[in-house]
Amino acid sequence: MRKYLGLLLILGLVGLGVSGYSQEEKRFDIYTDKTSPSNHYAPSGWMGDYGDIGLDDQSMEEPFSGATCIKITYSAKRTGGKGWVGIYWQSPPNNWGNRKGGFDLTGFNKLVFRARGAQGGEVISKVKVGGIGVGTEVAYPDSGEKEAGPIQLTSDWQEYSINLAGVDLSYISGGLCIILTADHNPQGAVIYLDDIYFTFDPNLEPESKRVEFPFYVYADATSLDNHYIPSGWMGDAQDIKFNQNCKDNPYSGSSCIKVVYTAKVSQGARWAGIYWQNPANNWGSRDGGYDLTGATKLTFWARGEKGGERIEEFKMGGIMGEYSDSDSAGIGPVVLTPEWKKYAIDLRGKDLSYIIGGFCWSTNADVNPEGAVFYLDEIKYEKD
Amino acid sequence: MKRKFFIFCWVVGVIYLTNLEAIPVEIRENKKGGFQLFVKGKPFLVKGVIYHPIPPGKDFTHNFWQDLESIREDAKLIKQAGFNTVRFYEPCLDLEQAKKVIRAFYEEGIYTIMGHWLGFWNYPCPFYGDENFQDKVKEDVLKMVESLRREEGLLCWVLGNENNYSFSGKVNGWTFPEVEKLKSPQERMNKKAEIYYGFVNEIAKAIKEIDKDHPVGLGNGELITLDIASQKAKAIDFLALIFYRGKKFGNIFNSLKHIFNKPVLISETGCDAYDAYRKREDQDIQAKFLLSQWIDLYKNSTFFEKGGNCLGGVIFEWSDEWWKHNPSDSSLWGYHDTLGGWSNGAYYFDIKAPRNLNMNEEWFGIVAWEKTNEGFKKKPRKAYYILKEFFQNPANFLNND
Repeated sequence: MRKYLGLLLILGLVGLGVSGYSQEEKRFDIYTDKTSPSNHYAPSGWMGDYGDIGLDDQSMEEPFSGATCIKITYSAKRTGGKGWVGIYWQSPPNNWGNRKGGFDLTGFNKLVFRARGAQGGEVISKVKVGGIGVGTEVAYPDSGEKEAGPIQLTSDWQEYSINLAGVDLSYISGGLCIILTADHNPQGAVIYLDDIYFTFDPNLEPESKRVEFPFYVYADATSLDNHYIPSGWMGDAQDIKFNQNCKDNPYSGSSCIKVVYTAKVSQGARWAGIYWQNPANNWGSRDGGYDLTGATKLTFWARGEKGGERIEEFKMGGIMGEYSDSDSAGIGPVVLTPEWKKYAIDLRGKDLSYIIGGFCWSTNADVNPEGAVFYLDEIKYEKD
Repeated sequence: MKRKFFIFCWVVGVIYLTNLEAIPVEIRENKKGGFQLFVKGKPFLVKGVIYHPIPPGKDFTHNFWQDLESIREDAKLIKQAGFNTVRFYEPCLDLEQAKKVIRAFYEEGIYTIMGHWLGFWNYPCPFYGDENFQDKVKEDVLKMVESLRREEGLLCWVLGNENNYSFSGKVNGWTFPEVEKLKSPQERMNKKAEIYYGFVNEIAKAIKEIDKDHPVGLGNGELITLDIASQKAKAIDFLALIFYRGKKFGNIFNSLKHIFNKPVLISETGCDAYDAYRKREDQDIQAKFLLSQWIDLYKNSTFFEKGGNCLGGVIFEWSDEWWKHNPSDSSLWGYHDTLGGWSNGAYYFDIKAPRNLNMNEEWFGIVAWEKTNEGFKKKPRKAYYILKEFFQNPANFLNND
């Protein structure tokens, strides 16, 4: 009987050991070392001003572990005129959803990576998992997506993670995406990444989209508090020139947004506008947005170059699709003055639980036949 | 004795005739703040469709009211799908003929929502600030009410449609000296809204003086300027609102409780059956969107939720209208145009159409026109059948939503 109990004890210990071993093994590597056989995905999907970026995936400049790390050099020269760069780690390489080859990462709920800046202060504007082909008509879109950021780096290695709890990871061909912007890194940046992997954390819960107020859409060009991307250009989009790092008499901080609307009717629409979206270019075809419940108003400052510029509508929400905004509100038409003036959109009684269109303006050639130049600043959701 | 019996019969007869004349329709508010329509004392959810059956080759001037045979055929089809209401934007000039049409539908148990444009399409524009204009419109509305109010098949009145779009000048812009004094376009818009809604309020009051049996609705495009209507048009009984918001209505029912707490009839909504991006008819997407809209409507009615403020909905529209894309070119009225006329991102399935013009005005019918050897015949689309299923047993769809 004692022998039998001893055998059971031994078996139990072995079982625990195996169990502990499997916990350690709950890891799926994107990058550990250049030559590691456990690496998955390839940094093949270069986007934006890709002439501004250099990637060395066998840098030996003080790796966090092993012999190598990834070094990304970003010049911020805007060679493609976009002001941002991005790199997708894809499987198979160069796969934008047209080919099979993604991984089933079900069972993982966290992406972990280590990063540092060459000097400290460098900003990774966005880190993203999945999202390839989501909301488009490609044959093999990723099953989900999650993004985080911006992240300001220090000169020392730090561990960062993205909570993926609740995200459908059953088919992911875009294992990781890093976005750097010229607004966040006006002088360029050199950053290092190492030990990038998926793991499982039993303590993680799906993240709430709830936010704290004030919640900025735009504070300053370089602000890490900005949310939503001015990606939804509408109507005669070619008639718009947009600069969100304008130094010409900002209302506050070091920059404001300058919009030049030429009213040339270049695409025949006779109107134009921009939506600030989350994620970028989301017209309701993909999950995203924020829960802005609690906000009572959206405020912003605006002025016209000369005064008299007419904006037909300023609004929030109202994007409709598979993932529609839960509500919308707006004001307009508004005739701008040459001095900064504060405007407010009343949000009382609105359902703000799911907002992917954070801010929007639109105007037209009929009310601005000579075009319009106007400025915006301090766009934020507030709570009374 | 004979005399007493005669008096008795006379009293009974009068009561009977009075009842024939007045089939009261009323809206009741429940303890939860929900609103419900009652017809002949029974709860009634408006399951409506806009009836403007202009056949290929004709435009809006075509007097379809005279074609009672075709109307009776349609009434049967409409009934079979489970609709209980048709909506007209305005009666024909011959109100006796309008009565016949209302009766033709009522023979199938279908009620009529009768509208009036309130001069919205008058040339050169609707002068809502002008007293003479107001008097003429009011006179015309009251003539309609006086003539049709005794029709058993009459459900309610709707004043205007999307007339509020004229405040910004986007459609049928108008002005008035009082408005011109204001510099801010927002103030001008608000002033026009005050003038217009005040005018609607006067008409609503006048209608109620001669017809206490039918609710009066304010037609309005979206939620625009309803905050002003809440101050100026308090006499109206319900809101008859137009929304083209894609698959669902979002938070509008809740929003309205704060903006203008009146019962809500979605008096015009829908989805076209043409995919302007892929350049092909798409009955599936139309069916999917209309079903989704109806589930949302139902969920905001007291039939689903005690506090619901939705009285029901009216789909735009019964049959395609081939004249609409280019009304000024009569050679195109017999051609089913596939070019999008306007843009609406809420109908995202074809928003990538050239210039984002994804809304095909000639393809909104749940019934299409099919060319046969005997001429054009109506052919129900998939949406007709899916709504039929929904009306038969909404619970099946609500549980799966």
